[in-house]
Amino acid sequence: MRAAPPRWVEMLVGITIPPACRESVLGDLHERYAGLPQYLLDALCAVPLVIVSRIRRTTDPQVRLLEAFVLCLSFLTAARYKDANFLTEPWGLMRLAIPAAMALVGLMLEDAYARPGRRSPVNAIVAPVFGLGIACLSQLVLSGGWPALVLPQWILLAGSGMGFLLVATLRMLFPPLADRPQGANGPAFWLQQSGKPLNIPPVAIRVLKVMGVMAVAALLVVFADDLPIVGPRLLVLAGALLLAHEANRRV
Amino acid sequence: MGNPDSLGQFEQLVLTAILSLREDAYGVTIHAKVEELARPKAVSLGAVYVTLDRLEDKGLVASWLSDPTPERGGRAKRCYRLEALGERALQESAITAKRIWESIAQVWGKEWAKEWGKRWGKEAG
Repeated sequence: MRAAPPRWVEMLVGITIPPACRESVLGDLHERYAGLPQYLLDALCAVPLVIVSRIRRTTDPQVRLLEAFVLCLSFLTAARYKDANFLTEPWGLMRLAIPAAMALVGLMLEDAYARPGRRSPVNAIVAPVFGLGIACLSQLVLSGGWPALVLPQWILLAGSGMGFLLVATLRMLFPPLADRPQGANGPAFWLQQSGKPLNIPPVAIRVLKVMGVMAVAALLVVFADDLPIVGPRLLVLAGALLLAHEANRRV
Repeated sequence: MGNPDSLGQFEQLVLTAILSLREDAYGVTIHAKVEELARPKAVSLGAVYVTLDRLEDKGLVASWLSDPTPERGGRAKRCYRLEALGERALQESAITAKRIWESIAQVWGKEWAKEWGKRWGKEAG
């Protein structure tokens, strides 16, 4: 009988491999099995590169950049709205950048470990929840070792809430692809997607789009707060309402 | 058909391995063949996976899942084959390699070229 790796080891290694390539990579490792140390060494050398490759394949740089932008903007706005002095404090901007960066890492991992072909209407919501969950977890870890780098709770909550709305809207407009189409090295990767559209109820899209536009409007209103006259703020609000109306109409 | 991107050395090795393995080109066999072609350098399985993904993105190779087999614990193989664009890229690389060989042989002399030719002949059996 052919030697095979222990089941529990295979299971552990399998958990770390993204589902899209789990079957073939686990099979290859199984076929090369010549003892547990060799198997573990093989897995240790192969799996990190498989994960990196999967992240590269599931990352659309333009959409990722947009996500990074809206996450940074969300935490910046929350800090600006709650406590304007926070931004000028030592390490103030650094403290804001940590949860945004961690949320982005969470989004990248969520995309890399998504099951190809299994698209659910809740995907656009699950990914930001996972990403922002990682951001909150990082704050918990930081509070143990480096409390000076932790964000005040209300800034974290407000930033996460706004970040969730904006990222969910972004992912509704540009849904992530589990598999990069062949030869898709050109710009506007999301434009080249094919296949069935997401099966999301139109009402849900409508609500999310309107909420996204309102979140952008809230951001603009907060930044227009410094203006001495109320005119520009009213103009921004009117523009946001117009956009919300447009988004609602175009579903 | 568009112009294929220029290939790196490792990409050339992987494409050559897929070409020579024909129907039997999948992770384990490709890795073994690439190691044979790249000797004495050691090649990691992960590097082969990354390169295969990249070649697939460039449209040089295509992949599909075969039927599960018992020697793999009941798991399927991801098999690869060259696409027309991949064949063209490999041909261009081979022509470039030949030009390099001829230029070097011109500078270092026919004796050197003969000696290396013999060595390679022995290696190939």
